[in-house]
Parts: sequence; structure tokens; C-alpha cells
Amino acid sequence: MLIERRWKKWVFFYIPLTIFVLGTLFPFYWMLVTAIRPDAELYRSWRAVNNAPFWTVQPTLEHFRDLMEKTTFPRWLWNTFFIAVISTGISLACGLLAGYALARLKFPMAGALGTSIFVTYLVPPTLLFIPLADIIRDLQLGNTPWALILTYPTFLIPFSTWLLMGYFKTIPKELEECARIDGATRFGAMTRIIFPIAVPGILSAGIFAFTLSWNEFIYALIFLSSPERKTVPVGVVSELIRGDIYFWGQLMAGALLGSIPVALVYSFFVEYYVTGLTGSVKG
Amino acid sequence: MGRARDIRLAYLLLAPALLLLLTALAYPVGWEVWTSLTDLSPVNDHPTSFVGLDNYRRLSGDPAFWRAAANTVAYAALTSAVKLALGLGLALLLARPFRGRALVFLAIFLPWAYPASVSVIGWYWTLSPPIPTAYSVFMGNMKYAVDGALGGGAWAFVSVTLFNIWRGSSFIGIFLLAGINAVPPELFECAALESKSAWRRFWLVTVPLLKPFLALAVFLALTTAFADLANVWMLTAGRIVYPVLGTHAYWLAIHGGQFGPASALSLTLAPFLLAVLFVLFRMFDPPDQERA
Repeated sequence: MLIERRWKKWVFFYIPLTIFVLGTLFPFYWMLVTAIRPDAELYRSWRAVNNAPFWTVQPTLEHFRDLMEKTTFPRWLWNTFFIAVISTGISLACGLLAGYALARLKFPMAGALGTSIFVTYLVPPTLLFIPLADIIRDLQLGNTPWALILTYPTFLIPFSTWLLMGYFKTIPKELEECARIDGATRFGAMTRIIFPIAVPGILSAGIFAFTLSWNEFIYALIFLSSPERKTVPVGVVSELIRGDIYFWGQLMAGALLGSIPVALVYSFFVEYYVTGLTGSVKG
Repeated sequence: MGRARDIRLAYLLLAPALLLLLTALAYPVGWEVWTSLTDLSPVNDHPTSFVGLDNYRRLSGDPAFWRAAANTVAYAALTSAVKLALGLGLALLLARPFRGRALVFLAIFLPWAYPASVSVIGWYWTLSPPIPTAYSVFMGNMKYAVDGALGGGAWAFVSVTLFNIWRGSSFIGIFLLAGINAVPPELFECAALESKSAWRRFWLVTVPLLKPFLALAVFLALTTAFADLANVWMLTAGRIVYPVLGTHAYWLAIHGGQFGPASALSLTLAPFLLAVLFVLFRMFDPPDQERA
């Protein structure tokens, strides 16, 4: 009986889980190996002597050094960070207020407004990039971070509103009513009772928004043009690929370094993230 | 009295969100609908004129459009189905605590947290390496085998599909895990007492309980795949080997400067999105509707 259980656990748990983890991590491993492989080894045939396809004989940091010294990579990191933080801040603030109103207050058209905010999340950038390019040009915001800070909330606000609305609904109304009986205004109850309880929800909305803006590609590609203004995803792609020439080593180095902030955010908050998401889908 | 004040407060709280969404979303959509009825283009030497439904009429007679539309549907349907299956499996695997779960979480989450534009290059490097690299002969042979068996563009289809699945299943997995956590554990315990067969429990208890989350997950998967542009673009290195509606529109607008037809083209996505929305919301209650 016990032996059968252990056998089952291997077949239905450990083995599939291992396959999943290996499958998700392999591309990253491949990127890492490429990033530390010297050029001489990157560009040569499969059958060359001393070839180790899955490892490198002489690991090198040359690509990382080139990336830091010969490109404006540090600048891209800062740009991306700046844009992601501000647009996440704006979207969280809007999402918090709107989510609270939709979850807690009774007013005409509440349902319709809630649904339409959610539906806007589904309007894809593929639909919007043409008109937005025109608007950004009219406002003369092209090639400034503000072009992105103003457009990112279009996809950040709907999702954070929806997530936070769900989260607020899980918080018992009585808590707020107690506070109001004790003399708090509605606004006071909201900011001092409800918001602190909703911290996991707020964090997971924030993580979500931060990742989305850190990773955004199309708007950044279209709205930014000078190399020192670019964000990491666009900079890496457009400055390290010239025509048909790919600087593979530096590309992979940039890809790895540029995503460390996002990976860090996740490793710190992953538990919060799942709790927050659970709270909101329950609502 | 309290009610009137509530209403005012509600609109006040909603104002910033609505204002931003209206200016950066409703206005562009309106602009796009209007532009799709004109021949707006920066390369025109005559003033922009209203052409009615001409752009749409030309599209409907264009075999390239229908090919792109078919590609889009195939891509969206296949990736969504696989992502849903894998994501559900993942969620069930991760549902119970075990040692090192936090680390596994992180590993599984990484594809989704990673900038797609960057990881897509990693995939491009893996699947279609440049000629003088260590394994280019091997991958080249794979490409010719696949293209030979299934027709040109098949390898491109395989690569975008693989990438999309790799990136998307982790998100769906985590999303469904949140859904499983939201179901009271007693329900699963009861089910375990009722039936010994895990397979029956899965179909009769787990799936029905997760229905709303599954619906939403399918929905998110389908819509992102429908509207995919950047990933397909990058994985085919900007070449038109596997056109989808998104790349078609990008090509027309940014390279061809034909804003009118390009707007019409990207608006043809709207009926797809609306149809999916309608079917899913009809079939399953979305989680936030019932307890309002």
C-alpha cells in the first residue's frame, strides 16, 4: 500500500513537476550559456573540436562588459524603472479609488461602469497603437517618457481596478460600518480601515502593473526613437540587432540583466501575489 | 441624504480612472473607427477623403486578409487549449504545500514575469539560430522537416505557438491556483470521501467548481493571442512567413503608411473579441457578477 502510494506520487507529482520546471527554465539556461560564451565559440560549427553544446569551456564576462560600456544599457534600465514606477503609481491610485467605489458604493450605472472598465482591458494595443501614435505626435510627447507614462495606464487601470474591486468585496462591510458608527467619515473609513486591510490585494495589483509596464514593447517601440531614451526591452532589441546582424552574446546578457528587477520583485512577493489574486477572484 | 452623498463620492472616486481611460482609450478607438472609413495616409498628396466602407470591402476580397485571419484563429485556438490544459495541471500540482514550493513558484512564474520581447529573442536564438553556430545544422534540419511535412510557414507557426504556450501556461497556472485556493477546502474533502477515483473527482467536482476561473482564463488566453503582434513579429524576424492580423496591420500602418486600411484591418479583430466575450459570459458566470 505504502509502496504503491510512493510510486503514484512519483508518477503523478514529482515527474510532471520536474518536467514543468525544466521546460520553463531551459530557455533561461540557454540564454545564460550564450551570454557567457566567448564569440569565438558562439560562431562555429557543431563539429568543431572541444565543442560542448550545453556548456562553455571558457566562460567570459566580455559580453556583459560590452553591454555596460559600449551601449547605453544602464540608461535604459533607469528609464524603464522610472516609467514603470510612475505609471504603476498612477494606475494603482486610480484603481484603488475606482475599485472602492465600484465595490462599496451604490450609484446609478455602477454595474455598467464596472463592466465597461473591465472590457477596456480587452482592447488590445494592436488596436490602439495607430491612433495613439497620432495623438502622441499631436501632443508633441514623442520620444519622451511621458508618452509611455500616459499610455500605460490604459491597460494597467482596468486590470488593477478589477482586481482591487474583487478584493474589496471580500472585506466584511461590518468593519467599515463600525468605524462609521465611531464617527469616521466614509472617506476616513476607506483610507484608514479598508485600504490597510487590502494591502495584499494592492501589492498584487502593483506587481502586476509593474511587470506589465516593465515588459511593454509595442508602445515603447513606436513612441521612443533616440537610443538614450529607450526602455530595456526596446533598447536591447533595437540597438543590439542591426539589420540582420545580431549581437547574440550582448543580447542575451542584456536580456538577463534587464530582467533582474522583475525577478526580484516576484521572489519577494510571490506569496502575496497568490493571496491577493485569491482574494480578488473570490469576491 | 447619505445616498446622494454616496453617489457624489462614487463619481468623484471614479473620475481619475474614467478620465484617463476616456482620453487614452475611448478617443483613440473613435479615431480609429473614423479613420477606417477614410483613406488617411501621410504619403497621400491629396487631402484625406471619406471613402465609406471601401477599406472593408477591399479587405473582404483580399485572400491575404483571409489567410491572416485563419492563421490568427488557428494560433489563438491551439495555444489557448494547450495553455488551459497545462495551466490546470500546473495549478493542481501546486495546490498542496510541499517543501520548496516557493522556489518552484518562482521558477514557474519566471516565463511570465520575463519581458516577452526579450525572452522571445532567446527563443528565436534557440529555434532559428544563425548559420555558423554550434547547432544551426540540427535546427535547420528540424525546420526543413517541419516545413516539408506541413507546408511553408509551419516552422514559424510551431515557434510562435511554443513560445506562447511556454509563456502563457505559467500565468494561467497561477491564476487557476488562485481559483483553487478560493474554493473552500471542505468541498474537496467531501468529494474525497464520496469517490475514490481521482479522475471522476476531477471532472465532477474540480472542473465545475473552477468553471468561472476557467472561463476567464480561456478568455484572457484567447484575447492576448488574437491581438498578438510583437511576439509573432519577433519570432519571424519581421519577415512575413506566418502573417496574423496584428502583423498585417503593423506592416500596413508603419511601413506602408496606409492608416485607413490598417485601421480597418485592426478593427476586424473587434468582432472576434466580442464573439469570444459573448460566448464565454453566456456559458459561465464570470466570478464577479453573481455576488455583486
